[in-house]
Amino acid sequence: KHALSLNILAQCSTSKARACLMSLPHAQVDTPVFMPVGTQGTLKGLVPDQLRELDCKIMLGNTYHLGHRPGPELLEQAGGLHKFMSWDRALLTDSGGFQMVSLLELAHITEEGVKFKSPHNGTEMLLTPEKSIEIQNSIGADIIMQLDDVVHSSIEGERLEEAMYRTIRWLDRCIKAHQRPTEQCLFPIVQGGLNSDLRTRCAEELIKRDVGGYAIGGLSGGESKSDFWRMVTLSTDLLPDEKPRYLMGVGFAVDLVVCVALGCDMFDCVFPTRTARFGCALVKTGQLNLKNASFATDFRPIDADCPWPCCKNYTRAYLHVLANTEPAACNILTVHNVAYQLQLMRTMRKSIMEDKFPDFVQQFFNDMFPSGEFPDWAVEALASVNISLR
Amino acid sequence: MKFSVEKVVGGGRLGSILPAGRHENAVIETPMCTLFTKVGSAPHLGYDMLKRVSNIPDIATMSLGGLAPHHENIREFGKGLGEFTALKSNIIFTTLHDASFAITSGKNDRNGVALWGKGGKFKMDPSLYVKVQEAFRPDWFQALSDGDTDKDTGKKRLIKAVNNSLDFLDNTVQLLQKSEVLKNSSLIGAIQGGFDVEERQRSAKETSARPVHGFLIEGFEKGHSGLDLFSLESFSSLLAKTVSCLPENKPRIMETAWSPLQVLRAFKLGIDVFSSVYPYLLTQKGQALITDYTIPPKSASAELEREQSGDCLPPNSGLFIDLTNKSNFEDFRPVLPGCDCYCCSNFTRSYIHHLLNTSELLAYVLLMIHNFHQYFKFFSCLRKSAREGTLDDLQASLELQSS
Ligand SMILES: [Zn+2]
Ligand SMILES: [Zn+2]
Repeated sequence: KHALSLNILAQCSTSKARACLMSLPHAQVDTPVFMPVGTQGTLKGLVPDQLRELDCKIMLGNTYHLGHRPGPELLEQAGGLHKFMSWDRALLTDSGGFQMVSLLELAHITEEGVKFKSPHNGTEMLLTPEKSIEIQNSIGADIIMQLDDVVHSSIEGERLEEAMYRTIRWLDRCIKAHQRPTEQCLFPIVQGGLNSDLRTRCAEELIKRDVGGYAIGGLSGGESKSDFWRMVTLSTDLLPDEKPRYLMGVGFAVDLVVCVALGCDMFDCVFPTRTARFGCALVKTGQLNLKNASFATDFRPIDADCPWPCCKNYTRAYLHVLANTEPAACNILTVHNVAYQLQLMRTMRKSIMEDKFPDFVQQFFNDMFPSGEFPDWAVEALASVNISLR
Repeated sequence: MKFSVEKVVGGGRLGSILPAGRHENAVIETPMCTLFTKVGSAPHLGYDMLKRVSNIPDIATMSLGGLAPHHENIREFGKGLGEFTALKSNIIFTTLHDASFAITSGKNDRNGVALWGKGGKFKMDPSLYVKVQEAFRPDWFQALSDGDTDKDTGKKRLIKAVNNSLDFLDNTVQLLQKSEVLKNSSLIGAIQGGFDVEERQRSAKETSARPVHGFLIEGFEKGHSGLDLFSLESFSSLLAKTVSCLPENKPRIMETAWSPLQVLRAFKLGIDVFSSVYPYLLTQKGQALITDYTIPPKSASAELEREQSGDCLPPNSGLFIDLTNKSNFEDFRPVLPGCDCYCCSNFTRSYIHHLLNTSELLAYVLLMIHNFHQYFKFFSCLRKSAREGTLDDLQASLELQSS
């Protein structure tokens, strides 16, 4: 039995959107869900209580960072990441591979695993599928990810094909190495770049394995949006309905709405928290760069409809002063932006439950693009699931 | 604002402040500290995190350096600094300088004073100063003053600093007569004179002769110098001689970054109101206040026991611990066992060490909560100890811990 079960509560009668209840050892998670990223075992200055108050049920940790500092031995000694960071709800960890390939220039991939030079002491190290799972077993997240062979989304041809097949071989090694299958659910990752054929073959292979859910990987790496949505919808078509689908690294509001329509259930992205550090607040019309001089005499709150009560105490004008100087501003904006993302997901979910999702989508796009100039790719993507924007 | 002394203990005054205006029902007991802020916000703590700190001081100090450049926008806001910074339930005390850093010296003259913020220098003369205060509508406000002096400043410059400050004060008092907005705000005079007794006493007497509601004693260092003023031989007697020239019925304020022991010493010399910049400075260094205020200190007796039992846990000696230190790596105890702050109730030294090690903002959020909690708690212990006549025991205990 997997450490995850999915209960589909509602299916949009127009698009592929759905609302589910995902049961994990540490939380009952309503989907579609956005998972904020707490890279180092903390979400950018927020305490777990603030996340609980925002009704956040699941967040991410990064295996590469946590494996390095504080390291799996300490996390095990602390009783897992949950205890270490005082977070009693669900966690998801990535495999560490993506971070390695994207952060370290010297990483290269062999059949054994990802070879890299430690950025800290220069020694040669190797992250194998077994090692990745071992670390993730120590961290103890509810959902863990297989190590995959990550290639840039612009890569084509032989290397892409090799990466796809290697990802499947590595999945088998991960499944074998996984020591805590009843406490932690292992997700394989659909790869295949922007090649429909490879992606199809990959998904077909993965669904032969006994796993609790699936991730869609290799996207959101700078490919064109028109390629992006086609690969997403192809993947959700191939994956079984009864398992959750996690679209990795996606978190812009427009992308979330479109990809929920295409049948994705789970998302993560550093964007809302990262942008807060630069003084940006997310609102339904896009984002406010509060460092901008135009906010110096704007005495309105960030967003009058923000569900986070504390936001009502602050004017944009004061945050403008603070954002240019003090870390407290980052804290306030991070909470707001996470609140915005979670609220967006909740609103979507509610509309799916009431079978009014297409109306929601229309309203969302009207708010975000008041001129009516919707992005072509989004119009196309939504049309493919029978939602036509006016 | 009204201040009255109830009792004098060991030279220190147990008193109470009755603020006027919108806080007229509050009674603030002294000795006490104010809430130190950066650009009008508690450092690292937004509104909802500050709520998790208990015993937040009634008075919030806001230095003008980072805020004065925005005075026109805040005037347009129209509801004053307290409401603007989301600290409207606090009494707002505007001061000239941020007590956490050294100011760039040599920029003051008889026409005005240089304030320092992230945007650099902001020069202010009495008329701009009154204009800024009218926009900010503070409950208390420090008079414009030339405090750019320290232990090395020569007599000529000290005389000038005293004279400049008195001139600014006279100018300000005159301008204030026309100010409707500030008529309920309390002007706090600033005492100068560096390390010269004569100038100190002249400044104290002359300032007392003007319509001020309290005194901020400055000019011992140029902003925060990191120097322990008590290590200078002349400081204590100088401060006592300055204070002796001040009237009994007005509070005396110092913004110096002082540990609990230093606060106690200054209290005994007659200071009533302190800053909470000290816990902020500890936080910035990754350090946590672990001073024990119980008499006799529990940690000292616990340590003795530990020594006897041969337990080799790292001892908690000193007034604070450094959480950047590797020894915290697998220390799963709270920062200060027994502390009931939000940080200690939920997190371990090991976790905070990890957060510091990875430069995560949360480290500073948590340490700020703990350090504020412990520092604020010290002031209630200090008042209690003074009231119960155990001030010397408290001092002995603090000295024992810092040795
Ligand atoms: Zn908000
Ligand atoms: Zn504490």
